[in-house]
Amino acid sequence: MGISNQTVQDKTNFKSELFQVLRLNVQTYTILLALIGIWAIFFFTTKGTYLAPQNISNLFRQMSVTAFLAAGMVLVIVTGNIDLSVGKLAGFVSVVAAYLQANFWYKYLPDQPLLSAVLTVIASLLVGSLFGAIQGYIISFLRVPSFIVTLGGQWLLTGLILLVTAGKTIPANQPWFSDIAQGYVPVTWGWIFCIVAIAFLFWNMFRSRQNKRKHGFELQNIYIDLLAVVFAAVVILVYVYNVNSYKGIQNPVLLLAITAMIMIYVSNNTRFGRYSYAIGGNRDAARLSGISISGMVFKIFVLMGFLSGVGGVVLASYVGYGTTAAGAGYELDAIAACILGGTSTLGGIGTIQGAMIGALIIASLSTRFANDERSACMAICFEGHRAGSGCACRRVLQEESINY
Amino acid sequence: MDNDIILEFKNVTKKFPGVVALNDVSFKIRRGEIHGICGENGAGKSTLMKILSGVYPHDTYDGSVIFNGEELRLGDSAIKEAGNKGIAIVYQELTLVPTMSVGENVFLGREPLEHGSINWNKLYADTREILTKYQLDVSPQVTVKNLGVGKMQMVEIAKALSEKASILILDEPTSALSETEIDKLMDILEILKSNGITCIYITHKLDELFRVTDHVTVLRDGKEIVTQETKALTQEKLVSYMVGREMKERFPKSSRAPGDVVFKVEDLHALDPNETSRKVLNGVSFNVRKGEILGIAGLMGAGRTELVMTLFGEYGKIVNGKILLNGQEIRPANARQAIDAGLSLVPEDRKGMGLVLIQSILKNISLPNLDQFSGFFRIDADAELKASMAQSKSLTIKAPTLQVAVETLSGGNQQKVVISKWLLSKPVVLIMDDPTRGVDVGAKYEIYKLMNDLAENGVAIIMISSDLEEVLGMSDRVMVMCSGHSTTTLPVAEATVERVMSLATGMSSS
Repeated sequence: MGISNQTVQDKTNFKSELFQVLRLNVQTYTILLALIGIWAIFFFTTKGTYLAPQNISNLFRQMSVTAFLAAGMVLVIVTGNIDLSVGKLAGFVSVVAAYLQANFWYKYLPDQPLLSAVLTVIASLLVGSLFGAIQGYIISFLRVPSFIVTLGGQWLLTGLILLVTAGKTIPANQPWFSDIAQGYVPVTWGWIFCIVAIAFLFWNMFRSRQNKRKHGFELQNIYIDLLAVVFAAVVILVYVYNVNSYKGIQNPVLLLAITAMIMIYVSNNTRFGRYSYAIGGNRDAARLSGISISGMVFKIFVLMGFLSGVGGVVLASYVGYGTTAAGAGYELDAIAACILGGTSTLGGIGTIQGAMIGALIIASLSTRFANDERSACMAICFEGHRAGSGCACRRVLQEESINY
Repeated sequence: MDNDIILEFKNVTKKFPGVVALNDVSFKIRRGEIHGICGENGAGKSTLMKILSGVYPHDTYDGSVIFNGEELRLGDSAIKEAGNKGIAIVYQELTLVPTMSVGENVFLGREPLEHGSINWNKLYADTREILTKYQLDVSPQVTVKNLGVGKMQMVEIAKALSEKASILILDEPTSALSETEIDKLMDILEILKSNGITCIYITHKLDELFRVTDHVTVLRDGKEIVTQETKALTQEKLVSYMVGREMKERFPKSSRAPGDVVFKVEDLHALDPNETSRKVLNGVSFNVRKGEILGIAGLMGAGRTELVMTLFGEYGKIVNGKILLNGQEIRPANARQAIDAGLSLVPEDRKGMGLVLIQSILKNISLPNLDQFSGFFRIDADAELKASMAQSKSLTIKAPTLQVAVETLSGGNQQKVVISKWLLSKPVVLIMDDPTRGVDVGAKYEIYKLMNDLAENGVAIIMISSDLEEVLGMSDRVMVMCSGHSTTTLPVAEATVERVMSLATGMSSS
């Protein structure tokens, strides 16, 4: 038995099966193609500098804050809710972190940069989670629509940011703390992570094939699985090679990769994830299946708050300051990333992976426009229409995939 | 033409794929009378009214409808045309805008204008005029959502009459009304009649037919059985016209011996969660034995679905009574508690409440049972798959793999997914609300066989069905509900169609 016996037959079917797989996953592949297309255009218009190590390095770091928010936003939208406060919450957390770093620990824990950085992170995550919990409580148990609660939350946070900063910029560039988002993984460690990740991809593929075989499921052509895994492996390799030839993998990107992996796992392999999708797919059926809708929505908003907290810490550390404008507009980026990545605004559908690619597309476009002084106006226009055009693209793609 | 006849149906036949909803129906309605139309659920009453109101345009059915001596040929914007010709319908589900005032609702879409803006004084004056003319006791300015159902119905009637209706159709108007509201409605009908308005009164409540109608038409299985003067009829005769059909061998045989009582409901009273002044359950008592199928019969609006949803902790607020499972009192506050106690509910609305249509068969089957397969954090995908596969095999769900989205399945297979999902939770009591609705004949038989198997294996089954034959064919005992209370539980041998119908229509009380 096994693969070798099937090889001849496999080869003949390979083309048609590949075509079918592409057709079935047209959404996933179009979003990837879009990303590649955007990169290709920028590569040629910038005569190659766009994909230079330093720029790639910046690009991924730029996407990280949005991506943390988007990772939580997927589940929020999947359950049929929305969170408009995440940008300002990340901003608020960033000024709280900056305040603690600059004004608080400085007084009470002088000359303890590591300890104060750790305490700052813990406090920041608590602030984010707590705010998420308050909003979640109002939405799920008091049944106020999430749109209204989080819009109010956004305004409240804008005020709180002014309160903490008193209108000034607070420095957050202390040692250890600034390493969180400005530091790099040493090159050797970068390669080790790279190899571990690729090994995991292959191991995961073979394990899932084995499981499918055990249960008598029809197996997808091994070359298609291999193709997908090899593609992912090449992407990781090229990325690591690229950034290692600059300074290495940035800490926030590694943190994001870990967060995204955890979120993907949670959304697929735990009750929490399953229930979220069921609630979005059919609220009444979920309720009658014994799922506590209020409890789930509450937990999801706490998680969203926590991830906003992570985003806020990264933001403060990366920018090096807590400013009054911190986090403004990030919520729209996060929402657009989700929708670009295939999350349905009607609920029930959406993946973390998709949202991550969506966040990368948005970062790709905005860094390009921000790096080019001639297109400063373009950048502003783009900011405004990003979410809208993202939705429009999505809409067209969805229609296509329905009519295929 | 005979000027006495306002409306005539001539050989009307309406077919849907696989079903003949109306089969060569012909009868006449006299000007100025109240004409009752009755029949069981699915007898074709609603289809007939939809033809009359233009929901089904004239080229979608055979035969003709003669209105005031002319053939009624309703085209594309038929619903409006019907209104213009003077045909008005008050639907069972009210169609008012709750946040608007009575006057605004009555003239919705036809507001009297003055220089392009609404003349509110005229609107309210006209509304008042209509209301007083027909002695409808409502104030024109009050917001509709503050009215009770009875008053809302009056507003509906006023709205219909404001369009100069010469014929008014009332589709089961009393199903949501209290006794006094029904009395008031009967009075209004008399007033309308004295004003020369013809009424078609659709109902399955026999006493109301005898109270107000001049003639009655009985429909059964899409056929017109009889049209007769009400005075010449008796209730017994009417019931036999409504149900008089022979029972076929539609149901698989089963030899089971029910055991002890496992589930018992004692004098349950519960309030409507949306309107806590209204009782939805008004004294329900019954019990189910191990390995028994208890059928719950009753007409639409009798409170059957409300009863099972309340037992499942997801509907009414229980104000009185006891639910006993294996002798212990339970009071589920939500579905989770009900499931954990050992209840399962196959809900009435399969697509709306039973399934997550966009998700796979696997995910649907395991949804209420994920606790079985989960540790603290992770779902054991292998165990989940194994258990779901076993269920799907034993119920012969026809699908290429379990990864297929349930929305692509046929009604019968979808229902099997719902049943699988609930069997996996290993219920002590399985509640099935209309389990064969919208399911083809083959799958129906399979579901019946499955129910017999389950009962033989000791599951207590409570089955609701609007198909009386199904109740009588499958149950060991039949509990009949009428207006929110249980009348009596009959052994199936004593439960004749006539007996059940007379209990369900509230004609006899034992």
